[in-house]
Amino acid sequence: MKTKHRISDHLQNATDMAQGLSLTQAMNEAARCHLCHDAPCSQSCPAGTDPATFIRKLRLRNIKGAIRTVKGNNVLSGICALVCPTEQLCQKGCVAAGMDKAIDIGGIQRFLVEHGWEMKFNPLEKEEKKSGKLAVIGSGPAGLSCAAEVAMAGHDVTIFESMEKAGGVLRYGVPSFRLHGDFLDRELKDLKELGIKFNCGKTITRAGAEGLLKKGYNAVFFAPGTWKTVELNLPGIDLKNVCNARDFLAEMRSADQTKIAQMVKGKNVAVYGGGSVAMDVATTAKSLGANKVYIIYRRSMKEMPAARHDLDMALANYVIFRPMSIVTELMGEKGKLISLKGIETDWKKPGETSSANLVPVEGTEFNLKVDVFVTALGYQAEPASKEICAGVSFSKKGLVETRNDGVTTANPLIFAGGDIVRGPALVVEAVADGKKAGQKIIELFQKEHPGKKVAKRGTR
Amino acid sequence: MAKIRDLSINICGVKFPNPFLLSSSPVSNTAEMVARAFDKGWGGVAYKTIAHDRTRIIHPSPRMAPFNYENKSLVALQNVEQTSDRPMKDNWADIRWLKKHYPKQVLIVSIMGFSLDEWIDLARMGEDNGADMLELNFSCPHMTVEGAGMKVGQAMELIEKFTSAVKKTVNIPVIAKLTSNVTDITIPALYAQKGGADAITAINTVRALTEIGLDDFVPKPNIHGKGAMSGMSGPAIKPIGLKCVTELAQCDGLKIPIIGCGGAETWVDIAEYLMCGAAAIQVTTGIIHYGQRIVEDMAEGLSDWMDAKKFNNLQEIVGKSLVKTVGTDAFDLSRQGIAQFDLDKCIGCGQCYIVCQDAGGQGLGWDSEKRRPVPDDKQCLSCMICGMVCPVDAMVSYKYKPGKQEILPPVMG
Repeated sequence: MKTKHRISDHLQNATDMAQGLSLTQAMNEAARCHLCHDAPCSQSCPAGTDPATFIRKLRLRNIKGAIRTVKGNNVLSGICALVCPTEQLCQKGCVAAGMDKAIDIGGIQRFLVEHGWEMKFNPLEKEEKKSGKLAVIGSGPAGLSCAAEVAMAGHDVTIFESMEKAGGVLRYGVPSFRLHGDFLDRELKDLKELGIKFNCGKTITRAGAEGLLKKGYNAVFFAPGTWKTVELNLPGIDLKNVCNARDFLAEMRSADQTKIAQMVKGKNVAVYGGGSVAMDVATTAKSLGANKVYIIYRRSMKEMPAARHDLDMALANYVIFRPMSIVTELMGEKGKLISLKGIETDWKKPGETSSANLVPVEGTEFNLKVDVFVTALGYQAEPASKEICAGVSFSKKGLVETRNDGVTTANPLIFAGGDIVRGPALVVEAVADGKKAGQKIIELFQKEHPGKKVAKRGTR
Repeated sequence: MAKIRDLSINICGVKFPNPFLLSSSPVSNTAEMVARAFDKGWGGVAYKTIAHDRTRIIHPSPRMAPFNYENKSLVALQNVEQTSDRPMKDNWADIRWLKKHYPKQVLIVSIMGFSLDEWIDLARMGEDNGADMLELNFSCPHMTVEGAGMKVGQAMELIEKFTSAVKKTVNIPVIAKLTSNVTDITIPALYAQKGGADAITAINTVRALTEIGLDDFVPKPNIHGKGAMSGMSGPAIKPIGLKCVTELAQCDGLKIPIIGCGGAETWVDIAEYLMCGAAAIQVTTGIIHYGQRIVEDMAEGLSDWMDAKKFNNLQEIVGKSLVKTVGTDAFDLSRQGIAQFDLDKCIGCGQCYIVCQDAGGQGLGWDSEKRRPVPDDKQCLSCMICGMVCPVDAMVSYKYKPGKQEILPPVMG
């Protein structure tokens, strides 16, 4: 894997991931930890990764134990360490911030996972073989975590993935400089060692979830994610060099990036949106050699949903921010984008920061000379999801409706999790769903195939 | 610029420009090194122990290993360092050169004989080549030759015999450097005094094993598959050094001055050694960790502290803590107190609560909503471990509470 020591967030190229902490650096960071009673960090990880325990274990030189905790609680803990908005989760309530700054929990977590790989220590263990057969639809974070949970209990698990490679949003929705494909593959290897079968590059639209049940699977976990982009109805949206973030980032993950590099290099690029995906596109464009890169966002910098680190990356790469602005028209010449028109916004009612409270401010119209326009306005459920999973109820937005537990559907043999239930959400939340659904499925299998009693996996 | 006050002190009639000395060790191995140290402000040197050329010295490789604590390196240092491995003539030439170029700094020559003849021979050569004082190394803790190093420091009649022989040979003051690896350091000190020693240096490294390899089962430093019990130095041994110096200073029969040694790195350590009764302090591990430059902070810090405490000269500090160092039977047990919390400063880690529950008197509750300890003065043992683990400055302090009774824990069943 290409990792480099990077002293700042400024990227030299679009694919290199920054190097993780060394043993000494991780120990130094662990030494700063106050080893809190009733630690806030461990209370705020959706997936129950339990930083307080793995940091204590590292501090007391119980490194294998720390790796056991981190991977045992969260089978994608390496990936989460890279993509989690830690400042909104584990690091949010960090007591160390009262002294200087929060502990770099993500950094320590990544170190432990990589150290395990270096030591060839995979703490994920498989119980004796049992008779349950699970089909998982979608190989994103929810699908992977559910698959691992059930596979570790000894059941047979097959993942169905329509794309060429496994990973879902982790592979096709996150840029390499944040989560390199090699890193993803390495974490997937730990799962493959559990005997999970990956069936990639095949859609299962026709047979659907029920077809899989007929084929002999005892349960299905449905986690296709949400891949339909929110489109804009804007004059000029059909011009050349106008695209959406999903396609832009997926292209960056393809084998040949020359086309996208050509589109961007030396050009001015505008990205429309204020989430982490918008930041990823902007930072990627800059690292591909774009001239000016703008982030245009309706609300203020304060309301941007982007994770702090992704925002910092964009700033460190000299992205130009135009908050409190909307795009009104895309202008073209010979079918190609040449500029955009926009106008600044303000709050109708001061103090209320919802999008509905925005108004354009007359006299603030502006023009930006841009050659590329990328929309990053979020994702929705694909209409096709409904077809795959007939027999399960869907909301108006096209999301799966579940019971209060968030994973059980109208069909007792079909469970769901991740974005298809929550709408666009965090990777770690998808992991949590997969873990929870996995436990439900293990219980189901236990009921249907009673044999030796299975101990429930708790937090380690 | 800081104005450094006069830090000079007289020991055995020799004027030391300040109490900061290099100890006999790798840091005083050559005149070139020592000269640079003098240039930076060190007041004297105990030049690295010279043994007789008859015994060829070859250093083990490697010869040192650090003792680390969590992310802090060199809390102590383990070494199998030997006496000087240079030919005697080179050392004598260096010593002559040093005395010529640095007449004001005190040049103590450390020697170690493996026989009575050698002690006499080395002492004479030391004086002839310009030493201001001699230091007799009775304390190296990893010597295997019987009647040498620490083995002398543990054999009282040898201490007296060798000291007396050296004293008869030279006119310059003679210091006996003693080991802490004895039950009571005052006994060898009294023997040294009986043999005529003019001063005592205490202590040398402490015989120890700091770490053992988990893969190879070899104590460190690992010398190609073998380790040895050997000398430990550094901050971790300062408490032993202070204890030994205090015991010597409080010993009624001992009338000679003491030079402290062991784990001093900062002016605070120096001040403590002075208060325990040392008139000067030797340093090695501090230099191994940070370099010779630490002397600048020793001088500036000590000078400022003397100003703040209105000391007129260094001698006034020497032995300042002795009258307050008593037996535990002298404590006033009628005075009890509590740990007092300034909760405005609290950052909410709860370490105080954990240790009070697990190692104290269960005198703290925990408000999980506010994330704050809830003190129960009645249950407080005033052991103060809560304050020791607290990461915040001055949040927990001891408070004397007149009338507070001693608490006994409840009985189960």
